Amino acid sequence: MTVLFIGGAYQGKAALARRLYPDLPLVQNLHLLVREILEAGGDPAALLPGLRGKAVTCDEVGCGIVPLARADENWREATGRLCCALAAEADAVVRVLAGVPQYLKGDAPCT
Amino acid sequence: MLILVTGGAASGKSAHAERLLCARAVGARLYLATMAPQGAAAQRRIRRHRALRAGKGFVTLERSCGLDGLHLPRRYDGILLEDMGNLLANELYAPQAAGQTALDSILAGIKRLQACCETLVIVTNEVFSDGLPYADETVCYIALLGRLNTELAAQADAVYESVCGLLLPVKEGKNR
Repeated sequence: MTVLFIGGAYQGKAALARRLYPDLPLVQNLHLLVREILEAGGDPAALLPGLRGKAVTCDEVGCGIVPLARADENWREATGRLCCALAAEADAVVRVLAGVPQYLKGDAPCT
Repeated sequence: MLILVTGGAASGKSAHAERLLCARAVGARLYLATMAPQGAAAQRRIRRHRALRAGKGFVTLERSCGLDGLHLPRRYDGILLEDMGNLLANELYAPQAAGQTALDSILAGIKRLQACCETLVIVTNEVFSDGLPYADETVCYIALLGRLNTELAAQADAVYESVCGLLLPVKEGKNR
């Protein structure tokens, strides 16, 4: 199964992912992977197939003022679109605030 | 009926706003675009939004400010206003726009739109939680957008937040 954990920085997303889905490989900080891909001239949308069957954490980076630098704006846009695509096919989407999970899609596992 | 759809950048809020409007307004639909079409990024965004709307029967009107002085040619079943963040920036910073009276001008403009349609869907922006320090002028903009969103949400019959393309109900029903 595929699970997306989103939320602000330093909210305990990865710890929660490990606790709730110990059997799933963990991909941390998708927003940073997107930035690396963009900086290398690649297409972040190509990350999607590799995220299937994993628990993925990503900071919500879209809730600010439009960045002045084009690269930052592209990064914010690409991260948002990738999260939309991943959320659409994920079994669960979890928003984490202060370590507390809120299921936006799917149900919490029985742990 | 007034519906407010908010969300961060690239969170899927436009697509949801269109769907919500189309579900309620079966006849004449107006898309009121507030983004000033300057710059390559704006052009890209406009192209993307046009492609999203294609085939859905919207008449498009571009108006970057001054909604309080807008004369619409007819009454519409639904109007989609996109978006508040651009409208506020235009009213604050464009020459001959409302400037200091931006908030009142925008709220008066929205009243005017409501008088011309059955369903008004407004797209607004979550710009409040990146935690970055900004110049005073930008802080003022953020604060005004927060006030606008608060005012509109209080009036709205429904408020939604789009997160990763998922639509979360924030408020459904006027008296909550």
